[in-house]
Amino acid sequence: MPSSASAMPRPSRGARVRATKDFIRAMLFLLPSLVIFVLFVFWPLWQNLWLSTYATDPLGRPSVFVGLDQYQRLLTNPDFPNSLTVSVTFALLTVPMTLVVSLFLAILTNARLRGVSIFRIIFSYTIAVSSATASLIFLYLFNTATGPLDYFLTLLKLPTVNWLTSPATALPSVAITTMWLQLGLNTIILLAGMQGISDEFYESAKIDGAAFWDSFRHITLPLLSPTMFFLIVVDTLAALQTFTQVQVMTRGGPVQSTDVLVYAIYRQFYFNGNYGYAAAQATILFFVMLILTVIQFGVIERRVFYQ
Amino acid sequence: MKRAILVIVTLVAFALAISACAPAAAPTTAPAAVATVPGATAAPTSVPVPAGATKVTFWHSQSGDVGGKVIPKMISDFNASQTKCFATATYQGSYDDALNKLKAGLQSGDIPTVMQLYDIGTKLMVDLKVATPMQDFIDKEKYDISGIEPNLLAYYTVNGKLQSMPFNSSNPMLYYNKDAFKAAGLDPNKPPRTFDEVEQYAQKLTKKDASGQVTQYGVSFAIYGWFFEQFLAVSGGYYTNNGNGRDSIATAATFNSPEGLAIVNWWKKMYDEGVEGNYGRNTTDTRNAFVAGKTAMIIESTAALTSLLDATQGKFGLGTGFYPRPNEDAYTKYGTIIGGASLWILNGRPQAEQDCGWQLVKFLSSPPEQAYWHISSGYYPTNKAGYDQQTDKDWRAKYPQFQTAIDQLHMAPNTRITQGGLIGVFPTARQTVEVAIESVLQGKATAKDALDKAASDVTQAIVQYNQTVK
Repeated sequence: MPSSASAMPRPSRGARVRATKDFIRAMLFLLPSLVIFVLFVFWPLWQNLWLSTYATDPLGRPSVFVGLDQYQRLLTNPDFPNSLTVSVTFALLTVPMTLVVSLFLAILTNARLRGVSIFRIIFSYTIAVSSATASLIFLYLFNTATGPLDYFLTLLKLPTVNWLTSPATALPSVAITTMWLQLGLNTIILLAGMQGISDEFYESAKIDGAAFWDSFRHITLPLLSPTMFFLIVVDTLAALQTFTQVQVMTRGGPVQSTDVLVYAIYRQFYFNGNYGYAAAQATILFFVMLILTVIQFGVIERRVFYQ
Repeated sequence: MKRAILVIVTLVAFALAISACAPAAAPTTAPAAVATVPGATAAPTSVPVPAGATKVTFWHSQSGDVGGKVIPKMISDFNASQTKCFATATYQGSYDDALNKLKAGLQSGDIPTVMQLYDIGTKLMVDLKVATPMQDFIDKEKYDISGIEPNLLAYYTVNGKLQSMPFNSSNPMLYYNKDAFKAAGLDPNKPPRTFDEVEQYAQKLTKKDASGQVTQYGVSFAIYGWFFEQFLAVSGGYYTNNGNGRDSIATAATFNSPEGLAIVNWWKKMYDEGVEGNYGRNTTDTRNAFVAGKTAMIIESTAALTSLLDATQGKFGLGTGFYPRPNEDAYTKYGTIIGGASLWILNGRPQAEQDCGWQLVKFLSSPPEQAYWHISSGYYPTNKAGYDQQTDKDWRAKYPQFQTAIDQLHMAPNTRITQGGLIGVFPTARQTVEVAIESVLQGKATAKDALDKAASDVTQAIVQYNQTVK
C-alpha cells in the first residue's frame, strides 16, 4: 500500500475502529456506576440548582421563578456568612487535631508487642459508634448540672465550664465530640499506611545509626504522606458536612455559635419551609467544598510523596 | 525493654482516656415509678384488623410512656368499644418531624386518617387545605361540644370553624423545690407570683460554696420560645398585629413591645445577678438540673408534672405555682395560652375512613378517656366532664399539684391575647426569639436591639409566607 508521506502519522482505519470499540467497551463497563452517579448525584444536583431559582409553597412545590434572587438574599443576610465562618472554624478545630492525635495513636499501636492488637481495637472502636450515639454520650458528659466533667472540675476546686450553653465553648465542645468520633477511622487508616511501609527502609536506617525520631521524620512521614493527604481531604469534607452532632447537642445555639452550614440548610428546609432558599445555600456549600478540594489537591498534594 | 514499657504505659493511658466515656455514660437507673398509671402497665400486643372493619391510621408525637403505653391503651379501648372501625397508632417523632412527614406524605399519598399536630401548626394546616374541618363532622351529627373547654375551642377555631379537636392541652407553670424553700426560710406553700417576687425568691434560694461558685441557682428557665410567648400573654402583649392574627391575617410581629422588653430585661437581670441558671434551649436539661437540686425553681409545661412527680419522689417535695406575671393586676386581666396539640382529620382519605376517624376523635375526647389521659400524662382534660370522673377526683386528692394547672386554665379570660398568635411560620418565629434571648443573656445585644431584629425577621417570614399561600 503506497502510504502517503504525510508529516502527521495518522492512525489506520483499523486502529480507529479498534479505539472506538475500546471506548464503547469501556463505557459498557462503566455504565452501572455511571447510571448510579447520574441518578443519585448529578440529577439531584441539577434538581437542587433548579429549585434554588424558585420560591416555593409550604409543601415545597416550586411556585414562582425568582432567578438569582435567593442567592442575593443569602449573601446579604448576616446569618449566612456566620454559618460559613462557623463551618470553616469547625474544620480548623477538628481536622488538624484529629490528625495529630490519631498519628500518635497509630505510632503507638504500630509497635510490635504482644497483645498490641487489643489496643488497636480500642483505639479504632469509635468507628463503630454512630454520630448520634457519640453526641448523646458527650451531651451527658458536658451537662453542667449532672455531667461528670463539671463534677470533676468541682472536685479539683476549678471553676466549672458551661460547655454547651456558652457561645465561647459550644463549638470547641462539639469539635471535641467530632474529634473523638473521627479518631477511630483516622487511626486505622494511618496504621494501615504505616504497615505498608517496607521494613527495609527502617533496617537500613538503623544500620546508618538513625534514631527513632530520624526514621520517623525521614521515612515514616514522607511515605505516609499520601495517606495523610487522603485523610485531610476526607476529614475536611466530613467537617464541613457536620450535622448530627449539632442537631443533637446544640441545635445551632447558643446565639448561632454552632450554626454550621448543613444545620442552617436543614433549618431553612425543614422548619422554615424555605425550600428554594435552602437549595441556594446547598449550592454554595457545594462550590465551597469543590474549591477547597481543588486547593487541597493543588497545594498539599505537591508535598505528597508517592512511592 | 524500657521503651517497650513506656509504650505499654502510654497505650494503657490512652485506652483508658478513650474508653472512659463508655462506662461513665451508662444511663442512671430510672427511679421506680410512683405515680404509675392504672391500667397502663404494658403495651397491648397488636391485633389483626377484624373483617369488615374500616382501618384508621393515627399519627402521634407522644414519646416515652405516654406514647408507648397510654396511647396504645386508649386505641385498643377504642377498638374494643365498637366493631366498625379499627385504629392503629404510630409514633412519628417530634411534632416538627411528624409535620415534615405529613408534608412529604401529602405529595406521595402516604398520609394518616387522623393526625396529632401541635398548636402552632394550626394556621399552616388551614392554609394547606388538607384537613376536613372538625366543624363539618360536628354539624352533620349535631354533636354537642359544650363540654369542651371554651379556651381550647377558641384556639382551634379559624375562619369561624372549629378546624381540629383539642386533644392534649397544657400550659406552663412554676415548679419549685419545697425543701429548698424551707432551707432558705421561705414558706414552702407560698410560691412567688410576680416577676419581682420570683427575683427576690431566687436571690434567697441561690446558694454558693466557699469559692463563690453557685451550687444551687434560685431559678432557671430553658430558653424556649413557648415560655416567652406565655410570658407575653400573661403580660397582656400581642405576638402579632391584627388581634394576634385572629381578627384578620397577621402581617407583622409585635412582640418587641414594652411588654416583651420587660420580660427579656427581667430574665437578663436575674441572669446577671447570678441567681438564674442557664441550661440552654432543651427543656429536659433544665428539668434534670431541677431534679438534681441544682436549681430551686423552674418553669415547665403542666404536662411534665407526672414525670416530675416520679423523678423527684424521695428527693424533695415538689411544689407547683402559677406561671409568674409582671404584677398582681395581670392575674385578673390576662392569662396563659393553651398549649399542646389537637387532632386533624385529613381530607385526602376516603370518606368512610374519615368517618371512622371522627369516631376515634370523639372517643378520645370523651370524659372517661380525657380523665384517664389527665392522670396518666399531666395534660389537663379537654372535656370539662373529665373532672367529674371518680378516677380523676381521687387522683387530684392524692396529687394536689395537678390542681394548679386546672385553676390556671380556668382563670384565663378568653381573649385575643390568650388565644395566642396565629401565623404560618411559628416554628421559625419561635427559634428566632430563642436566638434573640440567648444573645441578650450573653451580652451580645440589648433587649431592645435583639427583639427589634427578631420581630423584623419574623415579619419578613410572615410576609413571605403570606405571599406563597394566597
